[in-house]
Amino acid sequence: MKENDFVKNFALQFDETDPESISLSTNFKDLEEWSSLVALSVMAMVDEEYGVRITADDFKNSSTLADVFETIKKRL
Amino acid sequence: MFSLQDKRFLVTGGSSGIGRQISIHLGQQGAQVTLVGRNLERLQNVTAEMKDGNHKCFSFDLTKQNEVAAFIKQQIPFDGIVFNAGIVDYLPIKFMSDEKINKVFDVNFKGAVLLCQQLIKNKLITKGGSLVFISSISSKLGIPGTALYAASKAAICAYSKVVASELAAQKIRANCICPGIVITPMTANAEDVSTTSLEDAEKEYPLGYGRPEDVSALVTYLLSDESRWMTGTDLILDGGLTLK
Repeated sequence: MKENDFVKNFALQFDETDPESISLSTNFKDLEEWSSLVALSVMAMVDEEYGVRITADDFKNSSTLADVFETIKKRL
Repeated sequence: MFSLQDKRFLVTGGSSGIGRQISIHLGQQGAQVTLVGRNLERLQNVTAEMKDGNHKCFSFDLTKQNEVAAFIKQQIPFDGIVFNAGIVDYLPIKFMSDEKINKVFDVNFKGAVLLCQQLIKNKLITKGGSLVFISSISSKLGIPGTALYAASKAAICAYSKVVASELAAQKIRANCICPGIVITPMTANAEDVSTTSLEDAEKEYPLGYGRPEDVSALVTYLLSDESRWMTGTDLILDGGLTLK
């Protein structure tokens, strides 16, 4: 799993947010477009792309994309 | 008070949550309950908890026609069936796939339809019997991420009305219950994928979340002869959620 691909896939779940504004250090929950549906989309993307299941609790326990990336890496 | 003494009922998804409570409640009313589900050990735990009576349990895959047929061969007529087995899978529309559609519809729709077909074809529902389908309030709403689950439950509501119509001549009734959130192990799993905590979401319910016994109380009524004039309905049981 490459960091760049993960960031790109994460950013793809947003429709209004500029993908360029999203990086590993982004506090994703502070993004204006972040919602339960975007969260659900990220979960589905992670399942589809990496075969890993993440939960709402994982988002609660994460601040940045890097935190989510690490969670997924541990479950690969 | 109505009586279910010595009546014979079949409950699918009887090993946990709402199905478990329905089975226990029916047992307390003197009924003989047959539980089916995927996990034999959990089913046996439920029958062990139930009051005296001739309760049975069978473990098989409701989505496999041959397994349903094998189960059916061993049965004698039932006075009522509770189609309760179901799964929740939240998924945004853009992630749907053939595989995901089949996963949800196989359990929530096809499983009930195949079982019902076999029961009717083999004349395993007594005259005056009652079929109860456990749907969901999701089938009436548009909660983001619930499309497959909601559609599968709406399909069951529509299916149940046709069953009610086709079987009315035999005085067999069919009704749907559409519960809001009832606290069960399945709700806890659903919380894993919801970013709104269950505590926050409960504020939308004027009477708070439901308990499995709230559903089983309505099921026992629908299975009893007291509801003999009720068929083809969708009963909303949601603690006032849809009042808003």
